[in-house]
Amino acid sequence: MIPPAVDKFFPKQRATADVSECRELKWPMSTDRYMLWIDGVGAWQLCVGSQFLIGGPTLEDKSADICLMANLSRRHASLLRKGEDWFIHPHSSTVVSGRAVTGPTLLRTGDEICLAERVRLGFRIPSVLAGSALIDFESPHRPAHSVNGIILMTDSILLGSRKDHHVCCPDWPDLVVIYSQDGVLRCRSKASLTINGMRVRDSAVLSDGAIVSSDDLRFRIERLKDRQ
Amino acid sequence: MKFALAPESRPLEGYTIKRAIHRGGFGEVYYALTDAGKEVALKLLHNNMEVELRGVSQCLNLKHPNLVTIFDMRQDADKDHWIIMEYVGGKGLYEVLQENPAGLPLTEVFRWLHGMTAGLSFLHDRGLVHRDLKPANVFSDADQVKIGDVGLSKYISESRRSAQTHSVGTVYYMAPEVARGRYGREVDVYSLGIILYEMITGRVPFEGETTAEILMKHLTAEPDLTVLPEKLRPVLAAALEKDPDRRISEVEELERRFRKAIEESGFAIEKPTPVYTAKTSSKKSAKALATTFLGNPHSATAFKGSGLAGKWNSASEFWNTRVPTPVKWVLCGSVLWLILRSGALQPLTAGGVIGGLAYLVYRTFFMKSPSRHATQGTAYPPRPPQPGRPEFPGAPMPAPLTAGTSQAVPVMAGVQQRSMPPAPQPLPVSAIVYTPATVRQIPASQRAADITSSLTVALAAAALVTTAVHLATDLLPDPGDVAFFGSVTLLAAWALIVPAKLWEGRLGDTFVRRLIQGSLGLGVGAVAAVLQQFLMLDETQLLQADGDGIFNGGNFGRIHVLESGLPTMAGFMMFFGLLFLVRRWWWQADSFRKSRFRISSSLVTLFLGVLLSAVMPFPEQLGAIWALAISAVVQLSSGWTPQEDRLLVPPPGSAQVVPMMAQARHPVASVPAAAGQRM
Repeated sequence: MIPPAVDKFFPKQRATADVSECRELKWPMSTDRYMLWIDGVGAWQLCVGSQFLIGGPTLEDKSADICLMANLSRRHASLLRKGEDWFIHPHSSTVVSGRAVTGPTLLRTGDEICLAERVRLGFRIPSVLAGSALIDFESPHRPAHSVNGIILMTDSILLGSRKDHHVCCPDWPDLVVIYSQDGVLRCRSKASLTINGMRVRDSAVLSDGAIVSSDDLRFRIERLKDRQ
Repeated sequence: MKFALAPESRPLEGYTIKRAIHRGGFGEVYYALTDAGKEVALKLLHNNMEVELRGVSQCLNLKHPNLVTIFDMRQDADKDHWIIMEYVGGKGLYEVLQENPAGLPLTEVFRWLHGMTAGLSFLHDRGLVHRDLKPANVFSDADQVKIGDVGLSKYISESRRSAQTHSVGTVYYMAPEVARGRYGREVDVYSLGIILYEMITGRVPFEGETTAEILMKHLTAEPDLTVLPEKLRPVLAAALEKDPDRRISEVEELERRFRKAIEESGFAIEKPTPVYTAKTSSKKSAKALATTFLGNPHSATAFKGSGLAGKWNSASEFWNTRVPTPVKWVLCGSVLWLILRSGALQPLTAGGVIGGLAYLVYRTFFMKSPSRHATQGTAYPPRPPQPGRPEFPGAPMPAPLTAGTSQAVPVMAGVQQRSMPPAPQPLPVSAIVYTPATVRQIPASQRAADITSSLTVALAAAALVTTAVHLATDLLPDPGDVAFFGSVTLLAAWALIVPAKLWEGRLGDTFVRRLIQGSLGLGVGAVAAVLQQFLMLDETQLLQADGDGIFNGGNFGRIHVLESGLPTMAGFMMFFGLLFLVRRWWWQADSFRKSRFRISSSLVTLFLGVLLSAVMPFPEQLGAIWALAISAVVQLSSGWTPQEDRLLVPPPGSAQVVPMMAQARHPVASVPAAAGQRM
């Protein structure tokens, strides 16, 4: 483990002046969690909000937003979106791209977050078109159910055939955008989509359990209800 | 891709389908949760699979960590058969091979081989043969290798419908005796040998456009083992032996011999360790492996037939692989210095021209042109398409085979019918070599960064090269000359790098590109002439042309190219215009060029400079050195990706390449995810 003294040699150049605000974390946070089941592609956990707590498994009703089957504390670290930037706020042992951090730290795309020495997560902001971030698993630690990754959605996410989309669906001919408006998830695309069998004109609300499909794609969104 | 069952449907009591995983050779596979929340994979089998089901029921109670566990077999209300299996979450070997077109790191090869060997050896010990081992059937979940579809292929051959599964994807790994209906465990050894070959080199030994062609190669062609390190060749040769009786008979034997050969080759072998501790070491060995395994595959496999070409090939192979780079530099530098000092430039050039013409005549009239496929880059990695993968959207269903004919023929014939795949892209037959012609997707930001860094480095490179010319020759005695030579070289390099980097990875007409380069050359020539006036280099020796070339009195038609022994603006423009027009400069600036600094490229450019200044009234030594200097600056400053790091980001809409999943960063594979587009 890298001793905390390391910080003396590497002053916190990465943290910005806006740190004081980040310390004011409000609990519980209002994060909505969904599962995105995509045929032929995979499954993603979708977290909608601006503060996301990472933690280990718990038997209580309230688990962390990103609850990993790993030897972490229940509140191990938080990811925050402030303005255009992403920060990690460590509550327990956290290393960002090889550097132990103790206070709010700016995250950049490509950073590796290492929690409790063994849990390694990749942090990416795949697209410049949306501020939403993506968490990849780089060590074998996952949530209780298999997911390909975790999407931290602040404004919108892109599902399409390119690598700089949040979810890369190689065979999809058109881009599908999921965005949050007034606390409601909506979806739009150039493709002619149906939601639960109803044609989508411009955009449509994604309700819990909605099945979105076209000739070439199909996915389902499901709200996670295992906590309050 | 359409799947039969919708999310949330419950074909079997107690299981809820959440999403479709893929469509495999035997049917659709879904991810489902039991009512309690356990995740399973449900495989819906095609109709009329009863014969195959006997194989599955035999395997129902097999337990081994390297085999995908089968939990149960059920029938739904429509009498369709379902296999309930363990869900394996990680990446399959198929995807991993896709992401590593140049082969896997050594530690990864060992990890996959060890897991597959353990699983197969368990099956063989129970008297079973897998018979359908292929990368699409091998998975890795939390670093545990697992073989899937166990038991499903068991009775394939006994069914006359068997050929259904022999789609293109399968036959790459199919042992030759399968065509004769013989299925011993040697079949699995052969398939494992093919997979091993593919993991090392990134491609399968027998490729072809049709199933029949591949099958024929399995039966008759010898695998090309020259791409492997020497110690490994006998091991793979023994595993890929055509005659099953002479083949390595046990999978453990194959693993043991492979391990021994690697130890003898001097690679450090690490036991497969958890990925999160083995990161750095695997990187190192990957590098070592990449350099050794893939030293120069195409120079060894290129056309060996004709005597002249053969000798040239072996000489160039020796030059490319055996001579260390510093020695090359010293040798070339001293030869160049000798030529320039001894004044033998002109005779040598004349000799070169005559010799080149003679060879051209010889080649045109006496030699069949050798196939140049190795230089034809292709956007697609050499991965064979697999059944059930999206690249075969509407694969036609096979016609049933007629029973009663001889055994070998029906398989081939039946397969050939199907082997007209609707795949729009032809499969590359030759070894994959990424060249500057390889079409690839480079993000605009990457491209811009590449251009700016190349232009910046060009400053330093131009200074370096000019200093070298100043010190090594007596061409640039005055500071004015040095400044003139250096700034024109830099300008020329910039004028070549910018379009080259804009064209990189894109399709384009060579002719148009040359024309654009040529007109940029005219511009550079004009600037050079203005600069010469500005620096008042009228008296200098540098620009004194010693002859009129082939022109009479320095006139070319009505254009005046030489005035009182000095090139005019027209002369400069013509020289640079032609110099830029004739060479394929963008190959020298491309990230996928053969090596960072290719001496042969520079020499050809030097030769062109000599030629141009010989036929034009242009200062002869200056012309030659200028061409060389520009080539050197362009090559030294343009970004370059080493061969083993070359990865493609697929062009959008291309179905052939299965792009990386969102978890692009594979824990161990050390190939940088962004290679191919980096600076």
